[in-house]
Amino acid sequence: MKILVPIKRVADPANANKVKVDDDATKVTSEGLEWVMNPFDEWSLEAALRLTENAAEKARVGEIVVVSITPGEGDTDHIREALGKGAERGIVVPAGTDEQLDASVVAKILAAVVKKEEPDVVLMGKQAADGDSAVAGTKLAELLEWPVVNYATNIATSDEGKTFEVKRELDIGVQTLKVEGPVVFTSSDRILRPDSIKNGVTPDDFEYADLGDLNSRLSNLKNIMAARKKPIDTMTLDDLGVELGVGTEYVKFTLPQGRSGSAEFVETVDELVQKLQTEAKVL
Amino acid sequence: MAQPINRYKADLRDFNFLMFEQFGLQDVLGKDPFSDWDQATCSEVLSQVYKFAQEVTGPLNRVGDAQGCRLEDGKVFVPEGFKQAWDKLYEAGWRTLGAPAEFGGMASPVTLAVLSDELLSGSNTAFNMYPGLSLGAAEVIAEFGTDEQKKTYVEKMMNGTWGGTMCLSEPHAGSDVGSSTTSATPLEDGRYKIKGTKIYISGGDHDMADNIVHLVLARIEGAVPGTKGLSLFIVPKVKPEGGSNDVQVASIEHKMGINGSATCVLNFGEDDDCVGELVGTVEHQGMRQMFKMMNFARIGVGIQGLAVASSAYLNTLEYARDRKQGSSIEDWKDPSAPRVTILNHPNIRRDLLEMKSKVEGMRALITKLAVHQDRLKALGEDDESETAAYHHGQINLLTPLVKAYCSDEAFQVCERAIQTYGGAGYLKDWPVEQYARDSKIFSIYEGTNAIQALDLVGRKLGQGGGKNTQAFLGDVQKFIKEHAEHPELKDAVARLQKAHEAVGGSVMQFLGWFQGGKMPNIVLTAERFLHMMSKLAIGWLLLEGASIAIEKLKGDLSEPEKAFYEGKKFSGIYYAMNIVPEVIGDAKTLKACDESPLAISDAAFGPE
Ligand SMILES: Cc1cc2nc3c(=O)[nH]c(=O)nc-3n(C[C@H](O)[C@H](O)[C@H](O)COP(=O)(O)OP(=O)(O)OC[C@H]3O[C@@H](n4cnc5c(N)ncnc54)[C@H](O)[C@@H]3O)c2cc1C
Repeated sequence: MKILVPIKRVADPANANKVKVDDDATKVTSEGLEWVMNPFDEWSLEAALRLTENAAEKARVGEIVVVSITPGEGDTDHIREALGKGAERGIVVPAGTDEQLDASVVAKILAAVVKKEEPDVVLMGKQAADGDSAVAGTKLAELLEWPVVNYATNIATSDEGKTFEVKRELDIGVQTLKVEGPVVFTSSDRILRPDSIKNGVTPDDFEYADLGDLNSRLSNLKNIMAARKKPIDTMTLDDLGVELGVGTEYVKFTLPQGRSGSAEFVETVDELVQKLQTEAKVL
Repeated sequence: MAQPINRYKADLRDFNFLMFEQFGLQDVLGKDPFSDWDQATCSEVLSQVYKFAQEVTGPLNRVGDAQGCRLEDGKVFVPEGFKQAWDKLYEAGWRTLGAPAEFGGMASPVTLAVLSDELLSGSNTAFNMYPGLSLGAAEVIAEFGTDEQKKTYVEKMMNGTWGGTMCLSEPHAGSDVGSSTTSATPLEDGRYKIKGTKIYISGGDHDMADNIVHLVLARIEGAVPGTKGLSLFIVPKVKPEGGSNDVQVASIEHKMGINGSATCVLNFGEDDDCVGELVGTVEHQGMRQMFKMMNFARIGVGIQGLAVASSAYLNTLEYARDRKQGSSIEDWKDPSAPRVTILNHPNIRRDLLEMKSKVEGMRALITKLAVHQDRLKALGEDDESETAAYHHGQINLLTPLVKAYCSDEAFQVCERAIQTYGGAGYLKDWPVEQYARDSKIFSIYEGTNAIQALDLVGRKLGQGGGKNTQAFLGDVQKFIKEHAEHPELKDAVARLQKAHEAVGGSVMQFLGWFQGGKMPNIVLTAERFLHMMSKLAIGWLLLEGASIAIEKLKGDLSEPEKAFYEGKKFSGIYYAMNIVPEVIGDAKTLKACDESPLAISDAAFGPE
C-alpha cells in the first residue's frame, strides 16, 4: 500500500504566545517563530506508519511518501524528521508565502502531486494547528473525485488498501463506514490509541504502546542515519502546473486577550472540585 | 504523587554555534572516521535528542525526585516510568551515538555524543546516570578486555540489555582509593574470588536490566599496598553461566538529591561465592584502566553540571520575563508607575547575564575538549605527530577544569536561580530547588574537586615538562594579541591579558613551592588556582565567541539570529569584565599565601 502524507510546518502551538500580528493587522508574522510539524500531521504520519508495517517484526511492508509545501526556498527539516521516523521518500514543493497558501491552493498542489504519485491513500491531519480551517482534505478529495472520510479515529484494511473499515466519532456516537480506495482520510488525534489501526499484516494481538503525551513515535538514530540516504525530490509549481491565486482574503487579525491568573496543580479530583467551589467559586 | 511534567529547557542554537561557528567540527566530518556524518545530521540528531529529553526523560525528573528508589528483598526498584524510559532510550539509540560500530554504536563525533549527553543529563540527571555509567564501564572492557570479554559483555552493556557500574569507594577508601581492602583470590580456572564491601555505588542494583556488570577495584592477595597493587575485575550480578554471583545490596542511601539514582552499599562474596574475571590478562593494572573510565566520567560530571545549570538558567529567564514586581527604577519617585517584570531590574539582569555567560562558558570549554578528541580521532589512533600530542595534552590538562569548575559553578548558578525566583524558587512547584539539590553531588563524586585541583597542580601542569600548560597559555596569548585593538572588545581583552599574566605568575609560584618543598601551600591554594585557570580559559573562549558574533552582526540577520549573536557578544563581554578580573585578585591572594589555616592549632578551631 502506498500512502501520501502531507506535512505542514506550523508555529509551535506550545509557544502560541509568540505569534504576532503585523502593524496593519492583515497578517500573522512568522518572524522568530519555532517551526514544528503540524501535530495533526504528525498523528497522521504515525497512523500511516502503522498501516504500512508489520509492527511485531519491526518491518516496513508498504510505502509512505511525505509531501511538504513550504513557503520560500523549500525547507526540508520536517520531511527529514518524517523520514527519520520511517517514511520512505519525501517531496518538497517550494511555493510562495504563507498567506498565498490557502486551503484551495494547497488542495490544488496536492491533487497535482497525487496525480504524479498515484498513492492508494492520502492520509492527512484533519486541520492545521495554525489556521484551523479543516477544509484542505475535503477540497483535495473533491478535486480528485475520490471519497473522503474526515476525522477518522480507526482505520482497518485486510486487503492492502483496496477497502477500508473506518470509524469516526460523532456527537451522536461512533459511525462505522466501509470505503473503497483510493481515498482521502483526515485523522483525529484519537487515531493514536493502541488498537486504532489494523492493517492485516501486524498480528491482531500486537499491542502498540500507549504513547501518552507523545504525538507519535520518536525518531531513532538508525532511521535518521538511514534517512540521509532517502530521496527528497523537489517539485515546483511549474512542474505541477499549478498557479498561485488566493481565494481567501484576510480582512483582519486580532490577538486573543492575554490570560490572567495563574495555574496550580492539584493532586486529586476531590481537591479540584473543592478548589473550584471555594476558591474559584465557579461551581 | 508528583506530576510528570517536563521542565527541561535547552537552547540548541548555542550548541550549533559552538560546533560549527566556533570550533569548526565540520573540518572532520564527511571523512574517515566520520564519513557518515555531516553538519545537517549532527544538528538533526541534537533536535531529536532534545525532543526525547523533553518528552521521555524530562517529565520523570520530578517524579524520580519525589519517589526515590526502593530496596525490597535485596532488590532495588527504580521510580515509576524509568524502566519505560530506559527501553525507549535504547530503542532510539541515543546512548550509543558515539560508541564504535562493532558494538552496535553509530561512531558519531565525540562532540555530538557529549552535547547529546548534556540534553539527557539536563532533562533527568538521576535517570541518565544508569545508562551513562553502563556505557563508561562497557568502554573500559572494550579498551582493555580480552576478545572473549568484549564479546560477552560490551554490546549488551551498550544496548541496554545489561547495566554497568564502577565500584571504587569503600568505607575507609573514598578519596584515598589506594586504601581499598576488597580482595581477589586466584581460582584454579583463572578467575578470582572477590570479597569486600563497596559503598556509594551508583546504579549498584536496579530493575531495568537483566544483569548488572560491576567493575570492581580489588587487591589480589600479596599485591603491594596503595593504588599500584589494585586490579580491576568484571563482576556480574548474575554469573555468565547463570545463577546469582553473591553480590548483595546491603542498603541504599537517602540523599539530598539525584534521588532517582540508586546509591548502593554492595557486599561482594558475603557467602564466599562471588567470582570475578580480571579485565584483560595483566594484574595490577586496575588504576590505569580505571583512569580511562574516570577521565570519561569526569568529563561526564562536568557535562552534568553544565546541563543542570543551563536548564536552571533558562527556567529562571522564563520566570523573570513573566513575574511582575515593582516599578522601573527610572520611575522611583512615582508610586503609581506601572508594575514591570523583574527582568527590568538591573540586579536581575546582572544575575541572569552572569548565569548565561557561565553556562555558555562551560559549554564552550566542554565542546573545545570534545573537538580536540574528534581531531585526534581524525588523525588516526597511532598518529604520533606534534599535532596529536598537542590535542592529547590539552585534553589531559583541561579535564580537571571541566570536572571541577563546571561542578562548582553548576551549584552556584542554581543558587542564583533560586535567588532570582525569590520565594517561588524555594518551593517544589518550580524546578530550581531540585536542580540545586541534584547539582551538589557533582563537586564530590568522581574525585572531589580538591582532588581535581591536586591533579591539575600536581600532575597536569608539569606534564611533558610543562609543554601542555605552555601550549594552553600560548593559545590564549595568541588570541589576546590578535584582538588587543578590537574596537568593541579591547577593554575586555585587556582584562584577559592581565589574567593571563596572573595565571602565568601563579604557575611559577607553584614551581617555587615544589622546589622549596612547601607542599602544604600547594594543597592550600590548588582549588583557587583551578578556578583562576578555568576563568582564564572560559574568558578566552567566550571572547572568541563574542568576536565571531560581532562579525556576524554586521550581516543582514533575522530578529532571532540578531538576538542570539548579541547574546553571545554580551556573554563574552560580561564574563571578561566581571569574572575574569577576579583572577587578578586571586593571584595576589595565592602569592601571599596566608598560612593561618596551617598555623592555627587544632584546638583553636573550637571545642570538641
Ligand atoms: C551520590 C553518590 C554517588 C556515588 N557514586 C559512586 C560510584 O558509583 N562509585 C564509586 O566508586 N564511588 C561513588 N561515590 C563515592 C564518591 O566518589 C566519594 O564520596 C568521593 O570520592 C569522596 O570520598 P569520601 O566520601 O570518602 O570523602 P573523603 O575522601 O573522606 O573526603 C572528605 C573531604 O576531605 C577531602 N580530602 C580527602 N582526601 C584528601 C587529600 N588527600 N587531600 C586534600 N583533601 C582531601 C575531600 O576533598 C573532602 O572534602 C558516590 C558518592 C555519592 C555521594
